Amino acid sequence: MFKKILIANRGEIAVRILRTCREMGIATVAVYSDADRQALHALEADEAVPIGPAEPSQSYLSIDRIVAAVRQTGAQAVHPGYGFLAENAEFAARCEREGIVFIGPPAEVIRSLGDKITARQIMQKSGVPIIPGMLEAAHDPAAWAAGAEAIGFPLLIKASAGGGGKGMRIVHAPADLAEACRAASREAAAAFGDGTVYLEKFLPKSRHVEIQILADHKGHTIHLFERECSIQRRHQKIIEETPSPALSPALRAAMGRAAVAAARAAGYVNAGTVEFILDPEGRFYFLEVNTRLQVEHPITEMITGLDLVRHQIEIAAGRPLALTQDDVCSRGHAIECRIYAEDPQQNFMPSPGRIAFFQEPTGPGIRNDCGVYAGFEVPVEYDPILSKLVVHAETRELAIRRMLRALKSYAVLGVKTPIDFLLDVLASAPFQAGETYTDFIASHFADWGPDRQTLELAAIAYVADAMAPKAQPGGRPEQAARPGPWQTLKHWRL
Amino acid sequence: MDYKLKHNEEVIALAVETAGDGLLSATVGDKKMEVAFARISENRLRLVVDGRQILAFVAETSDGKAVMVDGRTFLLADERTTGTRPRSGAASGPKLVTPPMPAVVTQILVAQGQTVEKGQGLLVVSAMKMDTILTAPFAGVIARINVAEGQKVAPKQVLVDIEPAAANEEVHG
Repeated sequence: MFKKILIANRGEIAVRILRTCREMGIATVAVYSDADRQALHALEADEAVPIGPAEPSQSYLSIDRIVAAVRQTGAQAVHPGYGFLAENAEFAARCEREGIVFIGPPAEVIRSLGDKITARQIMQKSGVPIIPGMLEAAHDPAAWAAGAEAIGFPLLIKASAGGGGKGMRIVHAPADLAEACRAASREAAAAFGDGTVYLEKFLPKSRHVEIQILADHKGHTIHLFERECSIQRRHQKIIEETPSPALSPALRAAMGRAAVAAARAAGYVNAGTVEFILDPEGRFYFLEVNTRLQVEHPITEMITGLDLVRHQIEIAAGRPLALTQDDVCSRGHAIECRIYAEDPQQNFMPSPGRIAFFQEPTGPGIRNDCGVYAGFEVPVEYDPILSKLVVHAETRELAIRRMLRALKSYAVLGVKTPIDFLLDVLASAPFQAGETYTDFIASHFADWGPDRQTLELAAIAYVADAMAPKAQPGGRPEQAARPGPWQTLKHWRL
Repeated sequence: MDYKLKHNEEVIALAVETAGDGLLSATVGDKKMEVAFARISENRLRLVVDGRQILAFVAETSDGKAVMVDGRTFLLADERTTGTRPRSGAASGPKLVTPPMPAVVTQILVAQGQTVEKGQGLLVVSAMKMDTILTAPFAGVIARINVAEGQKVAPKQVLVDIEPAAANEEVHG
């Protein structure tokens, strides 16, 4: 087993990874940019190495600087987390060349699955259902028109190198096709350095359901059930749950088999996620493979009791996967809410700033994967995720209630968060009925505003705060609030 | 005592009477509430509003007090302290080229002396992986660009000065 692992990431995911390393007795190295000198991940690791300025391209995305930090600290392996270099085939290849273990799939697998057209070809050859559409790149209006004629409208233009909704366009009529393709191609070229686009059928009323897989170096591959991730804003997930309310046991088994087939077809090793689109008739189509640990992996850990990061590290160290498909079972229901520094009233615009007060929810069945603390300045340079609040309970209904309880006691003051928005989504009839489709927020919460009654209570709290005396500065401010054991312990004996 | 608290663009008026130590009654609209309150710590207050116990969290921020009750956080500011300022911010706000949140300038799309149309993209700012294009609030000529690419900027900071094309344009724009 490795003695030391460098975590090439920041925030909550870096913290989450180093905790498993610590449990495994593996020393951890954090890297941090100038903006992250006091970030939680840098403070919690055994060693922390500065890797440059705040700009991601000069720090967390700099392959040379990460490799130099590995060399400097003598780490044997690198865990890339998600985002940044996690799905960068060049980085994985560089690690391979330098004799550093990359905790993830081989570079060649990342490369072929990162190209959506190549991935579609691989899946089609191995019998995994793909969304009807093109299997080759199209570069001119004649090819786009021919493709569109075969597919029909509405259709979706996608960037082959794409991700995060960039280079993506929905087209409803032939007249708009050529211009939309050109615009999508420009956007893709700017974002990914590759303007290749292709067309596929647009499925309007659909769900996003993904299957977690694990594969070892010997080709032994299993799945760890699904995650339903249909509640999205700006093509980014904000609530995920498992099991999906839309899957029957038969459909779950079929999608699990398809995901395992997809992983085998691609020569997959380590943890990965096969994403599918599920239509209302229960037909599913391959979307893409995420060749990394997913943001929402904790809900799978909750229902299976498995530590995915531990399995990633063991597989990367060359150990065979001891689990068989029959060993894996699912218990209860888990939900995750992503807590971003963002303003749900301003179209989820990022809201960086200093966290003035922070209190996490606690209690039965609650897990909060968190990368911040009170006093931390949330930097503008990075993804605004603060934490992922996860609950586990016996049933979906109980998990929803548990999440409502947890959200209500989660205090994040100083930056805006979607906590109150999430409360209203979870309490809504369509969510509780499991009507979770990718258009959920646009359909049900386009005009969301904060709760009036609570606003009045908050106004009263404001007044009470102004009237209640504060402790003297320089005194012992919380003395009254925090009595020592001699005041609180009553009858006791040794 | 009366309080006027600003929340976003709205003002909430409270008529507050103190009824002894740690007791008050507050009227909001036509609703009167009896409140007992006590400070637990710097950021925590215990309220009992019409018999229901509520734990509230309060923190000072640069834009007022952030107050959380039942998982819902509101940013409230006293009108008496914010209202005394000239209201120029609200009136001229939409006319200024300023970022909606703290951000980094990633691209400047215009040059000094250039004529721009209303709605034309002037610069791109990026915050937390999201790009926003700031557009010209009215037609005119770029008088000055106050920032450089890579610079950190904040709301209310004017990034580009525009000389309006015509006086009446500015009034109606």
